[in-house]
Amino acid sequence: MRLLQKTNRAYLLISGTTFIIAGVVFYFVISFFFRDQLNEKLFHDIKNITKSIRRNGTIPNYYPFIDIREIPAQPERSFKIIDTLIFDSFEGRENLYRQISLIRVINGKEYFIAARDTLIEEDDLLEVIALVTGSIFILLLVSLYFINRKLSLKIWQPFYNTLDQLKEFSHDKPGFKLSSDSQLYEFTELNKTLEKLTQKVISDYQSLKRFTEDASHEIQTPLAVIQSKLETLMQYPGLKKEQAELINSAYTYTLRISKLAQTLLLLTKIAHDQFPEKRAIDLSELLGEKLKMFEDHILEKSLTLNKKIEPECILETNFFLAESLVMNLIGNAVKHNITGGLINVKLDKNHLEISNSGEPLPVSASKLFDRFYKTDKSSDSPGLGLAIVREICRLNKWEINYISEGSLHKVVINF
Amino acid sequence: MKILIIEDEKELVGVIKKFLEPEGFICETAFTYFEAEDSLSSYNYDIIILDLTLPGGNGLDLIKLIKNRNRNAGLLIVSAKNSLDDKIRGLDMGADDYITKPFHLAELNSRIKSLARRRHFDGSNELIFNEIKINTDSNEVFINGTILDLTKKEFEILLYFIVNKNKVITRESIAEHVWGDNISYADNYDFIYSHIKNIRKKIELNNGRNYLHNMYGIGYKFSER
Repeated sequence: MRLLQKTNRAYLLISGTTFIIAGVVFYFVISFFFRDQLNEKLFHDIKNITKSIRRNGTIPNYYPFIDIREIPAQPERSFKIIDTLIFDSFEGRENLYRQISLIRVINGKEYFIAARDTLIEEDDLLEVIALVTGSIFILLLVSLYFINRKLSLKIWQPFYNTLDQLKEFSHDKPGFKLSSDSQLYEFTELNKTLEKLTQKVISDYQSLKRFTEDASHEIQTPLAVIQSKLETLMQYPGLKKEQAELINSAYTYTLRISKLAQTLLLLTKIAHDQFPEKRAIDLSELLGEKLKMFEDHILEKSLTLNKKIEPECILETNFFLAESLVMNLIGNAVKHNITGGLINVKLDKNHLEISNSGEPLPVSASKLFDRFYKTDKSSDSPGLGLAIVREICRLNKWEINYISEGSLHKVVINF
Repeated sequence: MKILIIEDEKELVGVIKKFLEPEGFICETAFTYFEAEDSLSSYNYDIIILDLTLPGGNGLDLIKLIKNRNRNAGLLIVSAKNSLDDKIRGLDMGADDYITKPFHLAELNSRIKSLARRRHFDGSNELIFNEIKINTDSNEVFINGTILDLTKKEFEILLYFIVNKNKVITRESIAEHVWGDNISYADNYDFIYSHIKNIRKKIELNNGRNYLHNMYGIGYKFSER
């Protein structure tokens, strides 16, 4: 719901009830004052009539407005103000009258005196009030509509401008600036705050990116030195078997740390979304290509590869990440396979399924995607492959599941 | 052939020099951006190895200078792994090849020689090792004049050996050379052995000698002995 819609509804509700209450109050106030005014007039009439009877002795007849009768003596002097219906011979129907009646002694005789005047009928009064309040209400609505339209077009315009600019914001695009032409305090304040916020996001992102790059450099450089020194040491003629084995062991472990550091940095980079460039990737082609790369490994382990790859499965994603995902999944399927086992690869527009035969999982499948989780503690692999796969899936909002089907381990990704 | 190594890590430069000099390269070094600027403005080089992360400036800016002053030099850039941006930008700016750090010395050597061959600095597209002759344009191998029927991978391994003759080459280095960075997704290198076995067999079948020697589980050495 838009803000204007919301405020309009509130206005409508509040003014609607206000007008109804005002109408009711108006009605009562008007009829009260009207009756009050009539009472005054009727009292005045009675005073005049009494005066006239006292002076002239004659009883005037202005029926139905004045009604005077001589009556026998009453034990008490009644005084009444009532609304009453009286037949009007002119209009031929009953009309509503306000009547003040009393008993008065004039020149020694007792008289019943009633003074009356017509009241506006309730129906008519209601009608008039409803008409007046209703038309004011409609007038208010119409002007409200036009004012709001103008508001949304003009006053809110800077807000929508800011919104449009924010939609274009990306944390890896430096030099983001909000332009604003609003003179309104709220909007300039909003823009100022947003600008501060976006600058902070950009600078945080930049420093994080710099940190990962620096860390990568600082770790890899010493490792590169160690690695190349060991490679130089290997070149010495007349190395003894024992010495060679020591060098080889140090070398292997150096490569392992180096690989671990790279993988951890990759994980960090994925987690911080440092692979923003996306394009259409033909996953079918990529998968076929990467499977070909593993053909030596597949041959070495005498694995049977079953491929069911639908052609031209296109995904909009980062190429490096897609490659990393595919390589990790195929690599795992080969690595954790048994000699003479099988690998099934299935791809269609919505799913990628890779399953492989292998030893059953020693612990729960839910830990499978955790960092440093290894089925075999003595394995050379640091156990980050599936953590990377999960991060890539999370980043692309793909759903990933592990399913155990008999002796088959199956990983399914829904795009 | 003159090489300029632009790299801030002195220890690394030392081993690179030590590895390359016996191959007949004259190596000069620059440890900082300014030293590199200085050397590039004063001398001509055939090949330049440039580490993009340099103290005192961005290595990418040096590429411009190299393209101005040493237009004919082969340029090999060194970048950190996973730093895809630098790699792509460097190649766009005119670098001929790139290698990611940490690298195997044998791989660096192979890249440099391939660069030299492509630029025909040594005027030849042929590599000769006794009775073995490799034509790097047609990707053909001859033994005593007869053509050797090798698979693509076998050819690449043999070329890698001959380029790095008389050096101990690790299995990891061979695997990375032939299968690329992707090899890190595999956990063993046993499959290399069958390729080596095939190469040996094919060479011997054509009356070539066995120059491939096992080095105590480290890897192999291609030498007369």
